[in-house]
Amino acid sequence: MTWSHFIAFAIAALLLWGVGAWAAWKKKSALVYGATIAGIVVFMAFIVGLWTSLERPPLRTMGETRLWYSFFLPVVGIITYSRWKYRWLPGFSFVLALVFIAINIFKPEIHNKTMMPALQSPWFAPHVIIYMFAYAVMGAAALVAAYQLWRAHKGKAVDSFNVLDDLVGLGLAFITTGMLFGALWAKEAWGHYWAWDPKETWAAITWMAYLVYVHTRRVSPSSVKAPLVMLIVSFALLQMCWWGINY
Amino acid sequence: MWTRPWKFKEGFIIGAGLMLTGLALQCIVGKISWSMMASPVNAIVLATFVAMVVLMHLLRKRVYAFQYLSTYHAAIASLSWAVVLTIVMGLTRQAPSSASIGGLMGVLGIEQMLSAWHFVLVYTWLTLVLGLTILRVLSQCLSGAKPGKELLRRTPFLLNHLGLFIAITAATLGNADMQRLQLQAELGQPEWRATPSEHPDSVVELPLAIQLHEFTLDEYPPKLMMITNTSGKVLPVGNPQSIVIEDSVASGELLGWQVRVTRSIEEAAETTVVDSLATGADSVKVDFVPFHSMGYVFAAWVEADSANVHREGWVSCGNFMFPFSALKLGDYASIFMAEREPKRYASDVTVYVKDGDESGHVAARAVIEVNKPLEVEGWKIYQLSFNERLGKWSEYSVFELVRDPWLPGVYVGIFMMLAGALFMFLGFSSKRNDKQERRTES
Repeated sequence: MTWSHFIAFAIAALLLWGVGAWAAWKKKSALVYGATIAGIVVFMAFIVGLWTSLERPPLRTMGETRLWYSFFLPVVGIITYSRWKYRWLPGFSFVLALVFIAINIFKPEIHNKTMMPALQSPWFAPHVIIYMFAYAVMGAAALVAAYQLWRAHKGKAVDSFNVLDDLVGLGLAFITTGMLFGALWAKEAWGHYWAWDPKETWAAITWMAYLVYVHTRRVSPSSVKAPLVMLIVSFALLQMCWWGINY
Repeated sequence: MWTRPWKFKEGFIIGAGLMLTGLALQCIVGKISWSMMASPVNAIVLATFVAMVVLMHLLRKRVYAFQYLSTYHAAIASLSWAVVLTIVMGLTRQAPSSASIGGLMGVLGIEQMLSAWHFVLVYTWLTLVLGLTILRVLSQCLSGAKPGKELLRRTPFLLNHLGLFIAITAATLGNADMQRLQLQAELGQPEWRATPSEHPDSVVELPLAIQLHEFTLDEYPPKLMMITNTSGKVLPVGNPQSIVIEDSVASGELLGWQVRVTRSIEEAAETTVVDSLATGADSVKVDFVPFHSMGYVFAAWVEADSANVHREGWVSCGNFMFPFSALKLGDYASIFMAEREPKRYASDVTVYVKDGDESGHVAARAVIEVNKPLEVEGWKIYQLSFNERLGKWSEYSVFELVRDPWLPGVYVGIFMMLAGALFMFLGFSSKRNDKQERRTES
């Protein structure tokens, strides 16, 4: 399985996710789960095939991380949907997944097979996959926050703090785990669990920024704009962590 | 302001006060020298700090400021200050702690944030808030009607907060006791001496020795790329493309050229053949023949076709024994072989440990490679580097030896936080708990 097979799997998965999103809007619950999970399985099949043919986890190039991003968006979507039944959510994750898949189809990058020895660790895959999942959740939270901020600006009621708190709680659990897995891996690979290199510094910043949101929500649940802005700023900080500041 | 109960404003002003105090200290005594924290100072500091947190907790009813420090407002204010200072650190290139920086930058300390008083004061404040909050919640649990049940209910909170408190204090205070040394072991010879990573000029004798039996380097398959003849830039500029030679053959396209590798010699030596029929520069041709001892290179016979042009010849990346050979396609570009990337490197070693009578005994025989360190007598031994010029024929291997006596403390904290994150994932911190918490906070 190589990248040349990607388009077939991507279109099949997108069709299934599209059906799931439509079914959610039409409140056909069984079809939402059936179609979305079928799409996830199809997409997963491609990832597994690519992983096997590369002989390493596909987690290195930007194209490969986008692959995980477009995989996790529907996963996050369906989990969140199953818990809180927001009918717009599968559609939302479908559109985001579509964007990342489209980038991978129209602007592919070189897909290198080599991986330096320091990355060849059992910690590597869980560390990156957990972070990708967290990014997907926090990305969803930031978009919902931006939408709510716009509503607040128009003088409309903000009604999504429950879903935001749930998303951030889930995302924070994953960011914490990803960061600590990174520390445990760093100890095995580089001899120290935390060396304050730029990546680690930005990971700490991001983590604390979300902690500010969580604590603010608990002490002043009635404030509206400040926590929404925090979520957008925190997600911007997360981008620094992802793209990395490399001197 | 300063009317009770204190809220965010007071918290942010406390942070500003710490900033000013820190800057004043930077001016007067200069940056923090962490090596002063080495044992036993760090243990004393830890005991004092914990005693101080407990004392402040006990005095919370009498001193309002102590009570305030265990509130959400104080937590948010200290976290926000920590975020701001860490962002400054993340945006500034950090200098090593040993460098001395004078003038305004020295006072601001932003290039050595970890040694800057204001940074350390803000994080200490954060840790103090954390400690006081943990004690408040603990004492609330224990003073209730059903202490056991309450403790169980607050387990996720305790794992997250106490875990962070333990990890942060152990990591910070233990840092000065951490030893990092580099040891270069020559093939066959036990080596007892190492150089501290931060002071490469000095040499220390270790209680253990490493003897290198064999060094192995596995490489990824070679790659063909196109470069410009004049500047040596890989083409296309900014988006270099390559053809991987697997199982000694390959084919592909590079910038409109059909490139084929029809045969390769995995272990080859470069020779020159004199063509007696040709004259001048053309009379000497490069050839490759099988060669199985030290210094062999990978050589590929490359055929390239574009429109009506056909080129063929040997391509090799060369090494310390043989120069590289490229296939010139024309005036503009050539096909060359990129230096092969290391896939895995490993050292087969015996580690000896000194006994009382100075004669060593064998403590371990193992293969050390990247991501697979060896632990012996409290030391972790990491594969660091080798003689890169000689590659797989490197006659030495460099190891990093790390001793970190406070590591178990840090790991206890990390695993508590991981358990806390699991609870968070499972959604145990329900809204009901928080409302109850808010009511009982002050």
